[in-house]
Amino acid sequence: MKSLVSIREGGLANWALRLGAAAFVIGLVFWVPTSAGAGLISTAIEALTLMSAAMALNLILGYTGQISIGHSAFLGIGAYTTGIMVSRWGLSPWITFPAAFVIAFVVGVIVSFPASRIKGVYLALVTLALGLVFPQLLTWKKLSWLTGGGAGLPNDDSQLQTTGFNIGRKSGQMQHFEIFGWDPFGDLRRPDNKAAFWYWIAAVVAVIVYLVCRGVVKSRVGRSMVAIRDNETAAAVMGVNLVKTKAMVFGLSAGLCALPGCVIAIKIGSVSPEGIASLTVKGAITFLIVMVIGGAGSLWGPVIGAALYVFVTEKTGEWANDDAIPALIRPLFAWAKVPPGDGIFAILLILLMFVAPRGIVGVWNQYSSRIVRVLPRPAGAVGPAPMAVAVMSTVTDSEREPE
Amino acid sequence: MALFFQRIVDGLSYGSVYALIALGLVIVYRGTGHLNFAQGEMALFCAYFVYQFGEWGIPIWPAMFLGMGVGFVVGSATEVTLIRPIAKRSPFAVFIVTIGLFTFLNWLDGAIWGNQQLPNSGVGSKQLKYPSLFPNDPQDQWLPFGVSIRYERVGILVLVLVLTGLLFLLFNKTKFGLSMRAVASNSESAKLTGIRTNRVLMMSWGLAAAIGALGGVVQAGLNGNVNLGLMFTVFIYGSAAATLGGFDSPGGAVIGGLMIGVIENLASGYLPKWVGQEMKLGVAFIVILAVLLAKPSGLFGTAKVERV
Amino acid sequence: MKRTRGLAAVIAAGALLVAACSDDKTTDSTTAPSTADTAVETTVATGETTVETVADTTPVTEPVAAGWVVDTDICVDADAANAPIEGTVKIGSVMPLSGGAAAAAFAPVKDGYEAYIKYANDQGLLGDVKLEVTIEDDQYNAELTPGAVAKQIDAGVNIFSGIIGSPNNLAVRDTLNDNCIPQLAALTGSPAWGDVADYPWTTGQLVPYSVESAVYAAQIAELYPDGAKVALFHVNNEFGQYYVDSFKDLADEYGIEIVGEETVEATDSNPPTAQITNIAALKPDVIMAVPLGAQCISFLNEVANAKAANPDWTPATFLTNTCASSLILGASGQAANGLYTSSNLIDVVDPANAALPSVAEYLAYMDSVGKASVAATATAGWTTAEITVAVLIQAQASPEGLTRASIINAARNFTFTPSLGLPGVEFKMNGEDDPFLAESLVVRQYAVAADGSGTFTDIGKLITDFES
Repeated sequence: MKSLVSIREGGLANWALRLGAAAFVIGLVFWVPTSAGAGLISTAIEALTLMSAAMALNLILGYTGQISIGHSAFLGIGAYTTGIMVSRWGLSPWITFPAAFVIAFVVGVIVSFPASRIKGVYLALVTLALGLVFPQLLTWKKLSWLTGGGAGLPNDDSQLQTTGFNIGRKSGQMQHFEIFGWDPFGDLRRPDNKAAFWYWIAAVVAVIVYLVCRGVVKSRVGRSMVAIRDNETAAAVMGVNLVKTKAMVFGLSAGLCALPGCVIAIKIGSVSPEGIASLTVKGAITFLIVMVIGGAGSLWGPVIGAALYVFVTEKTGEWANDDAIPALIRPLFAWAKVPPGDGIFAILLILLMFVAPRGIVGVWNQYSSRIVRVLPRPAGAVGPAPMAVAVMSTVTDSEREPE
Repeated sequence: MALFFQRIVDGLSYGSVYALIALGLVIVYRGTGHLNFAQGEMALFCAYFVYQFGEWGIPIWPAMFLGMGVGFVVGSATEVTLIRPIAKRSPFAVFIVTIGLFTFLNWLDGAIWGNQQLPNSGVGSKQLKYPSLFPNDPQDQWLPFGVSIRYERVGILVLVLVLTGLLFLLFNKTKFGLSMRAVASNSESAKLTGIRTNRVLMMSWGLAAAIGALGGVVQAGLNGNVNLGLMFTVFIYGSAAATLGGFDSPGGAVIGGLMIGVIENLASGYLPKWVGQEMKLGVAFIVILAVLLAKPSGLFGTAKVERV
Repeated sequence: MKRTRGLAAVIAAGALLVAACSDDKTTDSTTAPSTADTAVETTVATGETTVETVADTTPVTEPVAAGWVVDTDICVDADAANAPIEGTVKIGSVMPLSGGAAAAAFAPVKDGYEAYIKYANDQGLLGDVKLEVTIEDDQYNAELTPGAVAKQIDAGVNIFSGIIGSPNNLAVRDTLNDNCIPQLAALTGSPAWGDVADYPWTTGQLVPYSVESAVYAAQIAELYPDGAKVALFHVNNEFGQYYVDSFKDLADEYGIEIVGEETVEATDSNPPTAQITNIAALKPDVIMAVPLGAQCISFLNEVANAKAANPDWTPATFLTNTCASSLILGASGQAANGLYTSSNLIDVVDPANAALPSVAEYLAYMDSVGKASVAATATAGWTTAEITVAVLIQAQASPEGLTRASIINAARNFTFTPSLGLPGVEFKMNGEDDPFLAESLVVRQYAVAADGSGTFTDIGKLITDFES
């Protein structure tokens, strides 16, 4: 294929490109909390938590090919772990992150054992049922001593009347966040600073999730996952331990999905089956949509998908007021009695399956190689080997053909 | 004792709706090998249409047949425009498309009719409540031995059984039914024998959606109103029913539906602490899981032999 | 998911409840209502007096200087809390405008609210100061509320009013209190808003469910002096749970024996046949029901079916007033005949009330802004805005003028008669003694005529016992 520019892998131009991209992303991440208003920061937090959940789902769905529309249950486990540990038992929210990961991991592994034997759309059915049952478990009277039942937490029995950081103006309440004497946020009671604090928690979680996903995908386990996705029987024949791999990936995917749940519980200060949309099936379907639109089976897909989703929903949310719709598309949506956000994404999802099944990342990879093509290093050439391998795998990933 | 029979009767009436949704799922699966996640939402869409027909003054039975017609159109159109081109790619792509359709139809219902429950005098509905196919005033019931058997619920059960009978006749006694079975069994060979497979596929989806429409109308009639969340849980129960009965057995779907309705109701009635109202979905979940683990082809389905 | 959250249902009826108060404050209630009574008498008698004049005069009789004052020293920015607000008062709010059943129930609140603000501007109720309101959408999802509130704070909003939903209000309560921004008229009935000491800047508008259930318990005791057997039916969420918990607490006091309790999930779209079957098997004297939104209708239908199946069982049905709008009851037809409920607002849909000046004015105004179709359910928004504006007027008249601190002070030393309230209904707040916008409730019975039209009849008098 003809391309405008060809650059050598491992060369200066290649590195410049990658550093430039990295700098852009890092710049964006740092700019948001410092320069943007609290409203934009909150939107960014939503995008970050959605991103984390979609990345976690991507591990099991995009890479291993196991359909799950029940990941909202794992996010809910995360949210409620934080909710219970902080409000009922007064523990610090920081402890709840690893605790939630472990609990969700274990649940994920347990779920994986029957899931291993169920294939394809049947698994989707089982996970959908799981996603629907989870909020019911929360309202179950038998568990209400733990979960607070239909009313949620915190409630009258709670030790602490919040499920997040105890920030406030009273004595004993937190007003500054200090790391080794450095106070990066200032007075946490101000909405801007509080939002920045949560933003950084969400950002760190997203980065952790990304790094773990990347680490898994690029490892041997990652290749086993893809092998399972492409042809399970062949993978088994080639020595992949199906049960063990699926258990590990399910567990990891579940554990990682619980982390954004903790962030949400911290952010809104209460947990209830009705108050948090992300722990219902609607949330699970949103993760799926975001992941597929961004690009299933790619590391950056869920990231881009989440950012796009939040941005579009935010913009079209205002379209409830007909005058806010740009004149060109007004006839398409002015008649609708509800905001068009969900409809737009549903249509986009269907269209995408026709034109770009690998999502936005897939389209990007297809067309960016027309502009810039990275020429792989010829075999046997002298050069830093690890770097070559790293770039090679990026190139191979992005040029994987759809089935 | 009367309470026991009452619970069974109530369970059978819930189960009839599940059976209708399960029937739709099974027909699609038999015909085209896919699971239609948008089945519930297609049913809902038609139920909204029937409400609208009622607003325009059409009595319920003709409105219902019109609604089934709408369902048929929606189902076949979906198959032709969305499913057939995508099916070539992968089952996953089809799944995503049905999920997209699920979301889209639900949004569309809200966009056209708003998100209040309908009928609703606040938005100027002429009807007082969603019309039911059978008389359902409070006194419309038989009372043998203290068990309340409402005309409406018996009517629905009879309707389901009649429909099953008709489908049985269709599949086994008509040429079209024969082509459907041929296409389901081996579409390549079917094509070679001159069967218009495309048309058969299209009709399968159309038929399934029409039956789903009936399910939606019945559920809305039982509920007294139609609203955006009407079919979410019904879909899961319907899927549990189809799984229990076997995804390629229409008779199994109906029996599965009735069984799930009864089991769910008995469980919630006799185990108020363990199941109660909160964990009724848990019953469906356990049924699906147990069946898929123990006998994936369900009670009446045929086991699938996969070529490696 | 997307459905009417419990507390939300209240809006449908637009009933504003009174908070429970300590009993030893009854002496206060005898003085205040008389002022309001005469004012309301005048309105009804002459038919001319605008309610706005009443609103203007009544607060003046309450000394604003004395009474509860908020402590602004612990604010993040005390100067901002005491800074005068000039030119425009920006009011912010967050309501579920999309995203399912919650939006269905609450979207009209926005319409009523905005209509009243426009009315207030047109009538120049605050003199030269104009009112501006922005209502953001959080889809009833508490994850989105902090963002919406933060966005509005950035845009310079002075006060918040009428945020809907318990988890939603909770999510922003800390931020608003820490930054000394009034969070008025939280539209939920959760008892959490009565905490004046810890959260002085947050006030609730709807009464905690405890008072309504107390009123019903009292009524049941009256109907069944020898003790009544009551079966409970409630939606399994915060709304339903708190409601029946407070009812259960009062059961012994009123000689009530609770023989059964059935729940329905908020997301369940099946009619509650099984639950009513269970209740019917117990043959209670009374069914106390707290369903959610559209479930009210299917509940009533099932009860009617069960009654037809058991002709010798004639229970009295008490229904939460969130179900008690003619909209919902109308859809139930004959099944709603004879049920008991309560109210403290005038039913604007009832043709008999159309002649009342406040109702006529309200309906005419809603028509003029093109929202006549939701007039029935928008009353909650109208009344909420009315109360907010009345607080603003009182704050403006205070020595400090219009500042955030003076607004919350005014809100907590406040007596007001809502224009759409039943005669004798008065909203009152008094510092830490009376943390809820308390007022009276009247128990009413609903009768359905042969032609399907329904009418409410008051049973007994306006109960002001819970006012302090």
